Amino acid sequence: MRDSWRDRSGRVAVHALVVAGAAVIFVPLVLTLYLSVFDEPLIVFPPHGYTLRWYARILPEFAAPLETSLWTAGVAVIVSLVLGVPAGIGLSRYRFRGRDGVATLLLAPLTIPGVAIGLGIYVLAVMIEERTEMALSGSVLLMVAAHVVITLPWVVRLCLASLANHDRAAEEAAASLGARPLTVIWRVTLPAMRGGIVAGALFAFIWSFENLEMTLFLTAPGVTTLPIAVLSYLQYHIDPLVAAMAVAQVVLVGAVLLILDRQVPVARALA
Amino acid sequence: MEAVAAKLPVAYGERQARAATAFLSPALLVVSIMLVAPLLLVIRFSLNRYDPQELMIEAFTGANYLRFVSDPFYVAVLRTTLGVAFATTVICLLLGLPMAYRLARMTSRWKTFCMLCIVLPLFVSSVVRMVGWMILFAHGGVIDNLARWVTGNGLELMFTPFAVVMGIVSVNLPYVVLTVQSTIETIDPRVEEAAQSLGAAPGRSFWRVVWPLALPGIAIAGILCFILAMNAYATPYLLGGPRFQMMAPLIYQVFTNNNDWPFASAMAIILMATTLVLTAGSSLLIPRRYRG
Repeated sequence: MRDSWRDRSGRVAVHALVVAGAAVIFVPLVLTLYLSVFDEPLIVFPPHGYTLRWYARILPEFAAPLETSLWTAGVAVIVSLVLGVPAGIGLSRYRFRGRDGVATLLLAPLTIPGVAIGLGIYVLAVMIEERTEMALSGSVLLMVAAHVVITLPWVVRLCLASLANHDRAAEEAAASLGARPLTVIWRVTLPAMRGGIVAGALFAFIWSFENLEMTLFLTAPGVTTLPIAVLSYLQYHIDPLVAAMAVAQVVLVGAVLLILDRQVPVARALA
Repeated sequence: MEAVAAKLPVAYGERQARAATAFLSPALLVVSIMLVAPLLLVIRFSLNRYDPQELMIEAFTGANYLRFVSDPFYVAVLRTTLGVAFATTVICLLLGLPMAYRLARMTSRWKTFCMLCIVLPLFVSSVVRMVGWMILFAHGGVIDNLARWVTGNGLELMFTPFAVVMGIVSVNLPYVVLTVQSTIETIDPRVEEAAQSLGAAPGRSFWRVVWPLALPGIAIAGILCFILAMNAYATPYLLGGPRFQMMAPLIYQVFTNNNDWPFASAMAIILMATTLVLTAGSSLLIPRRYRG
């Protein structure tokens, strides 16, 4: 009796919203996949055939920006780990005044607009350049340093999360048995954080690899990352080649996430 | 724990502080140089004066801010940005809430798969994700062709506000779904079952039980979505075309094409301040007893 008309129509409406939401997220991705196998130089419906040849052209077309992106992301992640893992341990171990402020500051780059960060870093680099005659703006060094700032929050956050349920008793036991503080960290704390470190590194890598807004201000001729190369390509043409490029990125990111999910439940690490 | 620490000798606390400094200062140093200093510099530059020959003249003036609020063009761009941000936030919440609820209450082994499907787009650049929308909206694209087939007339949605809003919704929706889902996950399903066993219809038990408990999470999701939409770059740039202006692309344009650093800085500050004030104010909309 309780299954009234109102309930049923409510359930239909909820179902329609779920389907609509899923469509908004996934239809563009499916269409991209579809276009990427068109045997046409432009979008023509229906295509006169299907081909995989666009995938072979991705690397020749986008090799240089891809290389810059991989290098930048790789180095930025390593530096972020060196800085962020100790910061995560420090934040989780010690209670001191200003701790919340420090945590907010280290996580801030996730919420501050990329345009503002990029603009600021560029003008700072130019100011330093004017005073010291170091060639900073448009250099790979500046790009990597900037990417460290946006990847650091991921490392800190996931290291903190991995220590949330960590029992300090094991560390104290090791110390009371005569292990020196660094040995305790190396043999007890770091192994306990392994999942968080791996997840932090992978999220940081993807985050750097996909960044657009901040990186815009830091590019120079010869120093262009993949998202920016794709953006300027898309401004003039939309064709199966760029669709193939998009599909390749989605597949790669998906594969990384699948591997990652075995280490730590990915969705829980984000929330 | 703090009570214990208070009873320990002072040297212990000092050693703790020194250790904390050693662990945290390298990261803090980098963030100070690469984030705090640049943002302070942007604030300082926004008070400088622009000169077509010298580019930037040191000054201490509010002229850039005044120029922004007195020029109808820039005010209109800010208004467009706000409008798009509000519209996308409303649509994202409308579509995201049912999805989040379904996901949170899923128990089958498909749940992990569905969660990964929602997470995946978060890590794919918004540039790459716009390719699909461009195929849909473009001249000769999917919608254009469908419309011509059905009605005989083409329908071009490229470079319309609708296209921009849809694009941003698709980028932001996964964030909203994940945030709300994690909140609903913490609500014990037995609370709902209790409400329903006492005679509440499913709709009623949702509004009276789940909604109030999930409200803090929903608010966070809405705020996040709003911030992301305010700062959107790739979507308005690619789907909005040259005439549909939003703040982030315009800041970049003023900075690189006009070389007007002071004004671009002022615009960046205005964008950040507007977002900050509105998001801080929005938490007042939640009834106090529901605030988390």
